[in-house]
Amino acid sequence: MSTVAQPRKPWTPSQIVLTVLGAAVSGVFLAPFAWGLFTSLKSETEAVEVPAHWLPKEWTGQAWKALFESGNITNWFVNSLVVSVCVTSVVLLVSALAGYGFARTEFRGKNVLLSLVMAGLMISPAVLGVPLFTTVQQMGMVDTYWGMILPQCAPAAMVYILYKFFQGIPRELEEAAFIDGAGRWRVFFTIVLPLSRPSLAAVGIFTFIASWNNFLWPYMVTNNPDLMTMPNGIATVMNSYGIQWAQLMAGGLMAGLPLIVVFVFFQRQIVAGVAHTGLAGQ
Amino acid sequence: MATSAHTVAAPARARTAAGSATLRRNQGFQHGGWFVAPFLLLFAVFVIWPLLRGVYLSFTDANITGEGASFVGLDNYREALDDPLVWDSLGHSAYFTLLVVPCITVLAFLLAMLAHHIERGKWLWRLCFFAPFLLPSTVAANLWQWLFNPGTGMIDHVFGLETPWLTDKSYAMLAIVITTLWWTVGFSFLLYLAALQGIPDHLYEAARLDGANAWHRMVHITLPMLRTITGLVIALQVLASLQIFDQAVVMMDFLPGPEGSTRTFVQYTLEEGFTSYRVGYASAISVIFFVIIAAVALARMWLLRNVKETTR
Amino acid sequence: MGRPDLNRRQLLGGLGGLFVASSFGFAALGTGADALASGADTRVRYWNLFSGGDGSNMIAMLDAFRKANPDIAVKDSTLQWGSPFYTKLAMAAAGNRAPDLGVMHLGRVTGFAPGRLLDPWDLGLLAKYGVREQDYNPTLWKRGVIDGKLYALPLDIHVQLCFYRKDVLKQAGLLGDDGRIVPVTSTDEWFDVLKEAKRATKKGLQTIGMWNADQNFQWWFFVAFYTQLGGTWFNADDTEVTFDTDKAVQVLQFLRRHVTDGYSDPGFGGLASAEQFINGSPFVWEGNWSVPVYSGAKLDYGATPLPPVFGRQATHAESHSFVLPHQSDRGGAANEAAHRLAAYVVQHARQWAAGGHIPAYTPTLSTAAYKKLDPQREYVSAMDHQATEPKVWFAGSTGILAQRVGPVVVSSTMGSAQPETAADRMKKALTQLLATKNPMDGKTAARGGAA
Repeated sequence: MSTVAQPRKPWTPSQIVLTVLGAAVSGVFLAPFAWGLFTSLKSETEAVEVPAHWLPKEWTGQAWKALFESGNITNWFVNSLVVSVCVTSVVLLVSALAGYGFARTEFRGKNVLLSLVMAGLMISPAVLGVPLFTTVQQMGMVDTYWGMILPQCAPAAMVYILYKFFQGIPRELEEAAFIDGAGRWRVFFTIVLPLSRPSLAAVGIFTFIASWNNFLWPYMVTNNPDLMTMPNGIATVMNSYGIQWAQLMAGGLMAGLPLIVVFVFFQRQIVAGVAHTGLAGQ
Repeated sequence: MATSAHTVAAPARARTAAGSATLRRNQGFQHGGWFVAPFLLLFAVFVIWPLLRGVYLSFTDANITGEGASFVGLDNYREALDDPLVWDSLGHSAYFTLLVVPCITVLAFLLAMLAHHIERGKWLWRLCFFAPFLLPSTVAANLWQWLFNPGTGMIDHVFGLETPWLTDKSYAMLAIVITTLWWTVGFSFLLYLAALQGIPDHLYEAARLDGANAWHRMVHITLPMLRTITGLVIALQVLASLQIFDQAVVMMDFLPGPEGSTRTFVQYTLEEGFTSYRVGYASAISVIFFVIIAAVALARMWLLRNVKETTR
Repeated sequence: MGRPDLNRRQLLGGLGGLFVASSFGFAALGTGADALASGADTRVRYWNLFSGGDGSNMIAMLDAFRKANPDIAVKDSTLQWGSPFYTKLAMAAAGNRAPDLGVMHLGRVTGFAPGRLLDPWDLGLLAKYGVREQDYNPTLWKRGVIDGKLYALPLDIHVQLCFYRKDVLKQAGLLGDDGRIVPVTSTDEWFDVLKEAKRATKKGLQTIGMWNADQNFQWWFFVAFYTQLGGTWFNADDTEVTFDTDKAVQVLQFLRRHVTDGYSDPGFGGLASAEQFINGSPFVWEGNWSVPVYSGAKLDYGATPLPPVFGRQATHAESHSFVLPHQSDRGGAANEAAHRLAAYVVQHARQWAAGGHIPAYTPTLSTAAYKKLDPQREYVSAMDHQATEPKVWFAGSTGILAQRVGPVVVSSTMGSAQPETAADRMKKALTQLLATKNPMDGKTAARGGAA
């Protein structure tokens, strides 16, 4: 970070005010998490007790226990992991290749294709869900992993971000390698890719987050509860015992915590990734 | 190849070497079709084809089974223009957008200013404001559905209210907006934070030397420097908000909300497609929606170009 | 940062690669985590929409079936009730990935494209496992028959009830000698009852919970009272709307009056209706599926069909029924096991009756064990006074009809629309729906003379 050589400043009044303000706002942002966590540690009857109270009077892990005993949640976790990992790897590979192809090679119809890809930025499953579903249905991929994965693997935005990035790499680096007789593919894999690791990390992280949290498309394309991902399973399939808030909160935390823990460890990369992907939209 | 170059005279050799290097260089940058092929294949199958297919289906009376569709001309479009629910749901999505976008933009800016100016624990503020964005939409929605729950919910309890958040049509959309603010403001917050950190310090120092106070520095340096990012934040939010679906359906238990007041456009297309099984009609209204989204996106590009030309 | 340890880096890289590779392997198998660990002879995939008390009763019945038939593995999946369930069932059937057995509301069967999304039952197989037509109420059985074939095998009837707290009503002097609520035969009598009950109600509680904000409940109540008035929907051929707006206005005004007279608080117009009843509110109108909830909460309560305030008994009734979602290769062991499972559950529905539902398999009703259930025996008569939605493709639980018209009823009850306006809107919606073609066969609801 850029706070390198600055000596620690003393607690000025304005800093105290700002910090207190920051703490208060953070409290507001974190309160829903705390409410969810505490609810998950109550019994189902205590959870719906009036008036509402924050801390459980009797701490119990029964909601968490029931959650794991019903079995679905572990299935969904595995499914989410499989889908997100596959989507992320395919997107990274495919969009890095395409971004490089558009940035550094010449072929017929390149500009037309490039503008087509740009137009693709406006299309999402939310806009074209029904026809996309019938397409996937015709291919026999409803209720399969591939049906969930592949339609998430053509993100025009990621291609565009990497395209912009590759355009910024000095051509001289590649030219030198060409003169040494290296082929295009070797140059791509040994010179260009290592140089673009931060951008690839940004794209990868962003894709993973988006895919892990994706609800709409998996919701449309999976009918079989065994195949559902976390967000979808939690929202649509309830276990056989009704809306049980304690369990629902426990399930939600199970779905949300992995990314938050990852965020704590890889904060700098993720922040850079989000800023990068967002800013590339300019 | 290189050996033949050694045999010729020195000046010529230099020229040939340069020439063949250019040649190789150009070869290196040519014939890139294979690089883009995998992406284009996926793109064609899962983006372009469904778009074309949607346009085709919109002229038929196809149902969910995909059998026995016949051509009905413009009937679906005619029906859509007359269908009050098309306009209702479009209105709800637009209303949601109108509420969310300004709030998120202002809130994200304020949060970023706060996090930027506190000198200690920067990572902590970032974590707190951004963490909700890492939740799946459905989890965020469930969490707030529970917070808004009458009687047992914390919101009413903490603020001493008895507001029927989720059951009254004058509050339902507001509840969804509040949820959305909490859930997504972190993204725009990070964009603003990155932009704030990108403003060169010397601008502020120069201003300070000129005797500008904090307010002047903000109005004359910070805000103008953030103009581009603000445009971006607004554009991204408008496009995302128009496509609202997840929070609304989950918070309303997959129903269209009290008196149908939170039925969004995406929800209506899915209702027509997957509850009424009218894939042809659902395709027609999807196409209409696509045209609206595309118009917004194009308008933004056009605005951006104009702004760039005037500021040049 | 120090120089990264190369060995550790390689190890991590290797592990990551392995992880990615196994993810792809998993995806390629495409079967889902659960399918990897299953090894019974015949596997029946069974989708249902039962949660709450129903869910646990269904699981208990399934467990009993599993014990009796160890060679059949039942893989049951519960989906959230409402649109998602029907959407997913339809999509699965259309995508030829349907489960072997499903559950549906009887009212939805007509619109669910029998023959295309549903397969007919094999009556021979059902008889083999002990279920015959004569074991059923004839009208109920016929609701599942379309074009001469049985598409839905009813499991129960479930009705909307008026739950009342005996402890509160006793104080108010509203209990008869038999310990049941005094009979009510007109709207005036009903509001007198509410007036008395309100005096005996604790502060901070509403007098009656009636799900004012819930488009499903409000629609069901409307159907009940509209039927009490003798109202009709369409003519016999389903070509004309016969909806009577005057009668509709009467019903809507009746519902609205609960709010304007201060008996029902719109703030508790959702799930809180039930929570308030548990906390001591004297009345709640609700489905019979809440019986186990209130019994579990040890309340002293009773339940009758919705009061016949317009002179005639009628309460909204729907029916859970078993269906065979369409599979292009239906048949064989899984199909036979599906018949066997459905027949078993239908005949062993006493457990199900504990969940408040009235068993459709009539031999169960005459058993001594059923007659002992309380408050079930208080409302079993509701079976003879069913108010149902019209038998058209757009009707049925959470169907298009309910989705279009339900919010209109809510708007009147909540006071954002005048009853007259709402009734006109309802008629308009009905007219529009009647003219809409069923996307499954391209025909409107009109029967066109066919039997």
